[in-house]
Amino acid sequence: MTFITSFISQTMVYATVYTLTSLGIILGGRTGIFNVSAEGILLASASTGFLTAYLTGSWLMGFIAGALIGTVFGFILAFVHETFKINQFILGIILVIFGSGLSDLLYKIIIGVRLSAPQAPSVPSVIIPFFSKIPVISGILNQDVVVYFMYFAVLVAYWFYYKTKVGLETRAIGENPKAADVVGVNVKRRRYLATIIGSALIGVAGAYLPIAITGTYSPDISAGRGFMAIGIAIFASWKPQRAILGGFLFAGIEVIAFQLKLISANIPYQFFLMLPFISVLIIMMIFKKHIEFPASVGKPYSRE
Amino acid sequence: MKKKNIIQNDLPVKLLRSLSVYGLALLIAFGLISIIIALLGFSVPDALKTLITTSFKSAFGFQETIKKTIPLIFTTYAFTIPFMIKFFNIGAWGQMLFGGTVVAAVGLLIGNFGLPSFIMIPLLVVVGILAGGLWGWFAGFLKAKYDINPIISTIMLNFVAVLLVNFIATSPIFKDPLEGHPITRPLSSSAILGFFHKIPYSIIFVILAIIFVYILLKKTKLGYEITSVGYNLHAAQTYGINFQRTIMLTFLLGGALAGLGGALEVMNIHGKLIEGFAKTSGAQYGVFGILTSLVVAGNPAGVPIAAFFMAVLLVGADALQRTMQIPVEMVFLSQALIVLLIVIIRKKFEPNGGK
Repeated sequence: MTFITSFISQTMVYATVYTLTSLGIILGGRTGIFNVSAEGILLASASTGFLTAYLTGSWLMGFIAGALIGTVFGFILAFVHETFKINQFILGIILVIFGSGLSDLLYKIIIGVRLSAPQAPSVPSVIIPFFSKIPVISGILNQDVVVYFMYFAVLVAYWFYYKTKVGLETRAIGENPKAADVVGVNVKRRRYLATIIGSALIGVAGAYLPIAITGTYSPDISAGRGFMAIGIAIFASWKPQRAILGGFLFAGIEVIAFQLKLISANIPYQFFLMLPFISVLIIMMIFKKHIEFPASVGKPYSRE
Repeated sequence: MKKKNIIQNDLPVKLLRSLSVYGLALLIAFGLISIIIALLGFSVPDALKTLITTSFKSAFGFQETIKKTIPLIFTTYAFTIPFMIKFFNIGAWGQMLFGGTVVAAVGLLIGNFGLPSFIMIPLLVVVGILAGGLWGWFAGFLKAKYDINPIISTIMLNFVAVLLVNFIATSPIFKDPLEGHPITRPLSSSAILGFFHKIPYSIIFVILAIIFVYILLKKTKLGYEITSVGYNLHAAQTYGINFQRTIMLTFLLGGALAGLGGALEVMNIHGKLIEGFAKTSGAQYGVFGILTSLVVAGNPAGVPIAAFFMAVLLVGADALQRTMQIPVEMVFLSQALIVLLIVIIRKKFEPNGGK
């Protein structure tokens, strides 16, 4: 029973990272901007988020700093792409490299080398009376506030895309920017907004890694999750409600792999640790036929 | 009409234009670097001097530069060849790791047979090429058959390769019991490439690879296919070029070259498999390969020279960390910045050149 409870609660923690990151990628993708730089944003915001939380003693400030760094990355991505029409993938990869360099550099300059890793202030949990005492259900409900923020973000995104006129217009940009432009939607402004808000969400996910999961920053803390989140966004056909499913799926695989690694003696543990990466590929192979792309994703748009 | 103009452009004009692109980008980038260095409280002239001249001031500096240039050329090609048909091979690192790992495992397994060098070395080189090629081909296969974006598949394969290195380097069959870190036993001396005046013999293979890539791309049907798919996919398909096959082949070629690079690191620089061997100056060779390739806009002809200059900066970065305690990530960041500026400025100057 405790095993199941801890499995559920750990899965939800990692699902938060995956879902927020892929949601951020989806927001950009829906307007045609493929945010390949998620891994770089995760790293940069993990580092700045942790440092801010550690120095100010406030977890909230850490998340705000993470979101701000995400905003900056999102702005650079949108600005350079929209202004110079640079290929989004090239730009994204340069930003990944930028983020990975920046994260370690900031940590080195501000913290340096220490014998014991500095710890971030912990994130408060939401405790719902009565239910929090029941096993399994407590694993689901007893989560920190950011997990609830993730649910909230998915709900808002779903509501926005499928229940509002602005959301419908935004989806139209992803499918056909010219048509959206013709009916008076400001394509450029929407692209900026979507990319920036999406990147800020990725920034929150990045700050979540050191502050809520590991308690401290370490190099390469995101371990490829930014790229796996791209896989989730694609697997989810760029739909928020499916991204959360993908997030839970990958988080579950990651937690199971980790548990198996601890209990299995015969199979070398490295093969369990490979599971998440291999399953990304297998899942994408299986769902190949069910994947839809917004038609304009990855393509620059100009009025001529 | 527009296209004709581009082709008829005179060479001097072209040269002047690309020189001004690089000049402008370097000027802005070094300006920014100087500001950052000054803000961090270091002496700007000292730092810039160290960064640029370390490679040429001593024999040691130059040897280090060559040692970094060799793997960098391989990973740059690994990115460049699929990039010619507009696909992104972020997996040079994994292909290099996998090549090196298989070479180390095979080398150790057959090490006791007493094979002479002239069999052992070519055999292991071929093993490295095949292993890296397989790792690269798989990403191309996933794109061709399952439409999986190579950016994702190559990254996933990188992580798998990292774990395979750890598996081999910690397995009881291969691990060196005297080492705490995951490191295998040394390869038998017949599998080791030596040094000539501290210049690794793997430089021979790099020269062969440069010639191979040149002939392949310029003189063979396959090279023509790759170039034409990159230039105009629809036209190429109309003329019967199999796009799927071209994707797999470019990734196979890129992977094979990266795998060879990994094999040579194991057989020449280290003499054994060391966890994290494909890294230098704070990041892995795959990432530097991407940056180097973007500097020359994915033009294979420019790869060796660009890789050498990149290596100069890396040796300078190491020296900065050693002598002035400026973190290597600082230079790494600046390189990413320089590349971004070059890409932007090139796009402004030659709208068709930046891809």
